Amino acid sequence: MDRKLTSVILALVATLVIFLLIVLIGGAINPSLKLDQTALLRFVFVIIGLLIVFAVYYVTRENKMWEVGTREVVYMAIGAALYAVFSFVFNGTVFIVPSVSQVSLRPAICIPMFFGFAFGPVVGFFTGAVGNMFGDALTGFGLSPQWSVGNGLVGMIAGLVFLFKDKKRSMDTVLIISAVLAALGTIVYLLNRSLPNMVYFNAPANVFGDQPITLFAGISMVIGFILVLIIRFVWGQNINMAAAVTWSALGNLLGIGFAAISDIWINKYSLATAVVGEFMPSAGPNLIFAAILVPLLVVAYMAVQRQSGR
Amino acid sequence: MLVTWRYRKRKSLIQLFDPRAWLIFYACFLASTLAFWDLRYLLVFLAIALLWIFTSGVRWKEMYRAWLFMGGFIIFFSFLTFLTGRGGSEVYSQEHLIKSLSLPFTIFRWRPTLDITVERTVWAVSQLVRVFSIASLTVLIPYTLNPALYGVTFRGLGLPDKIAYAMDLTMRFIPTYGRDFQQTMDAQRARGYELEKLSGGLFAQVRKLAPLIVPVTIHAIIGSEDIIDAMDLRAFGVGPRTWLDKLSYRNRDYVLIAFSVLMFFTSMTLSLFGFGKFWVPALFVKLAGG
Repeated sequence: MDRKLTSVILALVATLVIFLLIVLIGGAINPSLKLDQTALLRFVFVIIGLLIVFAVYYVTRENKMWEVGTREVVYMAIGAALYAVFSFVFNGTVFIVPSVSQVSLRPAICIPMFFGFAFGPVVGFFTGAVGNMFGDALTGFGLSPQWSVGNGLVGMIAGLVFLFKDKKRSMDTVLIISAVLAALGTIVYLLNRSLPNMVYFNAPANVFGDQPITLFAGISMVIGFILVLIIRFVWGQNINMAAAVTWSALGNLLGIGFAAISDIWINKYSLATAVVGEFMPSAGPNLIFAAILVPLLVVAYMAVQRQSGR
Repeated sequence: MLVTWRYRKRKSLIQLFDPRAWLIFYACFLASTLAFWDLRYLLVFLAIALLWIFTSGVRWKEMYRAWLFMGGFIIFFSFLTFLTGRGGSEVYSQEHLIKSLSLPFTIFRWRPTLDITVERTVWAVSQLVRVFSIASLTVLIPYTLNPALYGVTFRGLGLPDKIAYAMDLTMRFIPTYGRDFQQTMDAQRARGYELEKLSGGLFAQVRKLAPLIVPVTIHAIIGSEDIIDAMDLRAFGVGPRTWLDKLSYRNRDYVLIAFSVLMFFTSMTLSLFGFGKFWVPALFVKLAGG
């Protein structure tokens, strides 16, 4: 590993240690001192997310997928700009996109998935993280740094398909991991069906986060996973399309899962609330968008590649 | 053709500073504002934001559209917070009623009622001030930051050449793709496509968004080939990048950076020790009969 990268990682680890020491030692010195660590914890989770990225890079650094050339630089910029624009457009600022049974349409998530799959994990991470950052900035609501890192992880993991020479074999492993995660999330939902959907506004009761998550929103992850399976096996002849959808699904589950789980400490949610209230209504519908929109982008991009010869 | 942000050189406080110093200030300001919910603290940040706005040299005529759009969005969501009390129930447990407004009819035995409480009102105002402070500085960036300096600014902040250039291109592409999206939407509308009237189940609605997303994305990728070729022909990435413009800090930039870092660490420390949490003026509670 080169010296510069080593110094960046050391700086991140040092900052993380300092923050954690403040949190842990402060309380130990004065037990009656109740420190509000919310603001610090956002940065702690950003650092943890970046360390996860570095860890994956370090373990797989010999692979050419980490090389950043001219092409990757331009695709990073395009992906981030598109994700920012689509996020701004579809988050309710330009259109009120209808929601169906507590599931809001958020189609922009297909962009980091597609760009990660098509152009590699670096492009995917930049598209998700920077695109989400600019999208939030354009909306005017400031930044949610740990959610930016989570979106970055969505794109990066979708790009890890380049680790495998045999895409077909990789899909089976990815599907098993995704199935386990989807099953775990759904089991937590089924055991906590009365928990509120934290991102849904209940008009009759005039409150947010007070409406139990609907059955559809709760099992949207299962529905999305079934769609992914259909794409995988029915259109399995088109390896690119099947691989794009399966890896995008895994990226979505892990990336959004990271951001939702971080809220256990940041917003002091219980595990069940974080999973049922945030993870399920966010990651579940994203699986549906991945299964429908990512294949369309892959097919269109393959047509462009055939035409241009690049 | 590229669409650019509406930057021009102005005599203003922001443009006196090195863009790197100003971005450091912006990042510290953002982090500091997000650490607080106390209206008294937030008003200080609002005052700082207003100082930058009124000394920016950007006339109302130049950015009224951005203000109307973003301001309308912020006011709408703050009003929604006022109506619903969203998020507030996590920070206050007791509410003091000012007035309760009910409509004279019921819908499926539910009577629409709005309880105006002191806590809900102050919470909505706090959110309005907080978000407005952040949004107002964000709106200034495209008007006051020279697009020709995007790349060298990010490089000067320590990012590697390629990442800095990618950030440069991202900021340059955003208005262009916004225009492309609008054009695509208009073209699809001319062909009978109506985004505002998406019908059908969830799957049908998602599928119907494809005529907007796919053309804009693929058009952007096709257009990138020319940019890639242009960069390769100029030996991009072959060696350490040189920049046409050179940035150098002056004393005023060091002062601004020092102030920013001090503001950030002070805010984090205060937040850590529990200062700046949601605050309701005792006078208002008294007036509500509490």
